[in-house]
Amino acid sequence: MTASVAVKPGQQAPAPIARSAWWRSRLDGATTPTRLGLLLAVLVLFSLAWGVLAGLTASQHASAAADVVAVSEPLSLDAEQIYTSLSDAGATAASAFLSGGLEPTAARQRYEADVAQASIKIEAASALAGSSADAAIGNDLAALSKYLPVYTGEVATARADNRLGFPLGAAYLRETSTLLSGTLLPAASDIYTRESALLTSASAQATGLPLVVVAVLAGLGLGYVLLRSSRWLARHTHRVVNYGLLLAALVGLVSLVWLAGAFALGRADLLHAQQQGSVPAQAFARAEVAVLQAHAYESLTLIDNSGDDIYQKDFVAEQKLLGPGPGTLLGAVEASTGNSDVAAQAQAWFQAHARLRGQDNAGAHADAVQSAQSGAAATTFGKLSATLTEGIGARQDVFASSARSGRDTFTGLAIGMVVAALVMVAGCAWGLSRRLAEYR
Amino acid sequence: VNARPRPWRRALVTVLAASGLALGTAAAVAAPGHPSAAPAQAAAARAAACNPEASSLRPSGAPQVTSGSFMAKIRTRGYLIAGVDQSTYHFGFLNPLTGQIEGFDIDMIRAVAKAIFGDPSKVQFKAISDAQRISDITNGTVDIVAHTMTITCQRLQQLDFSSVYFESHQKVLVLKNSAATSLASLHGQKVCATTDSDSVTKIQQAKAVAVQVPYWTDCLVDLQQGDVAAVSTDDSILDGLAAQDPWTKIIGGALTNEPYGLAISKQHPEFVRFVNAVLQQMRTDGQWKQSYQHWLGTPVPNPPQAQYAD
Repeated sequence: MTASVAVKPGQQAPAPIARSAWWRSRLDGATTPTRLGLLLAVLVLFSLAWGVLAGLTASQHASAAADVVAVSEPLSLDAEQIYTSLSDAGATAASAFLSGGLEPTAARQRYEADVAQASIKIEAASALAGSSADAAIGNDLAALSKYLPVYTGEVATARADNRLGFPLGAAYLRETSTLLSGTLLPAASDIYTRESALLTSASAQATGLPLVVVAVLAGLGLGYVLLRSSRWLARHTHRVVNYGLLLAALVGLVSLVWLAGAFALGRADLLHAQQQGSVPAQAFARAEVAVLQAHAYESLTLIDNSGDDIYQKDFVAEQKLLGPGPGTLLGAVEASTGNSDVAAQAQAWFQAHARLRGQDNAGAHADAVQSAQSGAAATTFGKLSATLTEGIGARQDVFASSARSGRDTFTGLAIGMVVAALVMVAGCAWGLSRRLAEYR
Repeated sequence: VNARPRPWRRALVTVLAASGLALGTAAAVAAPGHPSAAPAQAAAARAAACNPEASSLRPSGAPQVTSGSFMAKIRTRGYLIAGVDQSTYHFGFLNPLTGQIEGFDIDMIRAVAKAIFGDPSKVQFKAISDAQRISDITNGTVDIVAHTMTITCQRLQQLDFSSVYFESHQKVLVLKNSAATSLASLHGQKVCATTDSDSVTKIQQAKAVAVQVPYWTDCLVDLQQGDVAAVSTDDSILDGLAAQDPWTKIIGGALTNEPYGLAISKQHPEFVRFVNAVLQQMRTDGQWKQSYQHWLGTPVPNPPQAQYAD
């Protein structure tokens, strides 16, 4: 078959738009097989480009979501637990020294559980930190690994001296408190702060719009090109439907809907994980850290035994940070969870603490110690601390399940986009090569 | 050398040092001078006349709570407030086994409480650091301080002391394997003392580097951890530290005499006389010797004889 399409003379005239003049003149001068070949090349190129763009978009979001679930979230959880177990170990060790006589078995067990928890979490965090984007976290973890044994060694020395009835034990206890609040807790808190920032940015990356918008626009553009191509084919080849191009268009549509749908669902899950999970969990965690710190100061003031001292000032400072009220830590808990029990429980503890200080300052040191160890101050602190711990746990569960489901919506998406693009390439090639064959 | 950072302690020491300095300056400014003489001359005259061993006020017979006196005020309140040490073994320390503050200094306070109330337990102990001793007396936070406190002419300008109830001597504590023989042989090395104690001055005079901490037991921690080469202070305090670590020894001859007194505000001379009457009773009825034997062991010396300024 040697049929050729006649070239209309009018089209040889200068093109109205200068920009398209060159390729239009070349195309207009070309034969139909050349035009078909060119169209095939353009469609293949566009399909491949779409595959690369969509695959890249999918893999970017999938890896950011996976990062949230696999690295940032567990690392900030580990850091939070390192911090709380170390603070609790410090407060427990201090209050065990308060009682006089042998330290209570329960206190000793609680201290040991805290130290075990802290070292397990330091190890877990160290294993994850290699994948973290922030190198300072590695230094913090190295400091924790280095000084935790020094800390436990000093507590053991304090305990041994205490058992011998030596006041030297109290000096070692002061030393442990210095090491804890000067070195260990700042390192743990630094990891937590940095990891929370990374979590927020990974979350933002996973839920960010720009790349997806570009991909969707590109997909729509490709659809338009396919539509125009089939209409051109229909006009020039007198066939209503080109099944190859139809296949390519359908696959393209499916992949576009899949990409946009997966992103919309995943984004909703991840935002839910953030708003109902990590934000309130962080608010609870910050409040718990301040509560544990204040509790240690309560014990240290009683151990110091010199009235309202420097530790009591520290307690008051923590109390101010806690609130409740707008702009305070408990205010943040209430704002993000609607939980008002925490504020009431904190008030109850602060009142018990004020009564305890009153007793101590009026000469009833033994009554104050009793309140701190098993009386009103101990009970109200215990309730508050338990509520905060539960709150952290519940919100972290919400975060974990939502973030996981968010991550799972991206499963297979990148591969799917690449496969779809290849099918589209194949569809275009098949559809157009059959037309091309008609000219040979 | 342990290179671990101790920002908290350093900050605390700095704060204590600064507040001590401010206090010293304030006291120097506020020191009452004779109206007709230049203050500097008056201070010089007092310093020349000062004898720490005989600086207190004479009691008049047995201790009596006279109406309108400071003792009567304390009795109305219901308890005596005493500033004490809780970290100096055998003198004033928190016994971890009982949770009570005990020691030789504490026995002196119990005797004063017994003389006021007929009950030695009517005391509120306030554990204070060396640096707080003078300020807590001058601002009235405590009624009396029993805190291994040396009577010095400088301190006598700010507070009153009871008659001497214990004599100690400045010495040096080192690890058993140390080659040092005296404070002078520790020239250029780190030696520990509590903030604002007179030991700091003596360490600096011996050209050693003074490391200042809040409590004497903190010095033993530093010595055990190798942060300092020695601790220098009164032998009474060093004996208590050595009793908590058999790998230490006390070296050096008696550098100085350190007469201990109970510190009381200058505003309550009647209370000074009352406390001196209590101490006099303890010297004569065997209580002093009994307490010495219980806390410091044998041989028990005779109690220091009371000398008075008036």
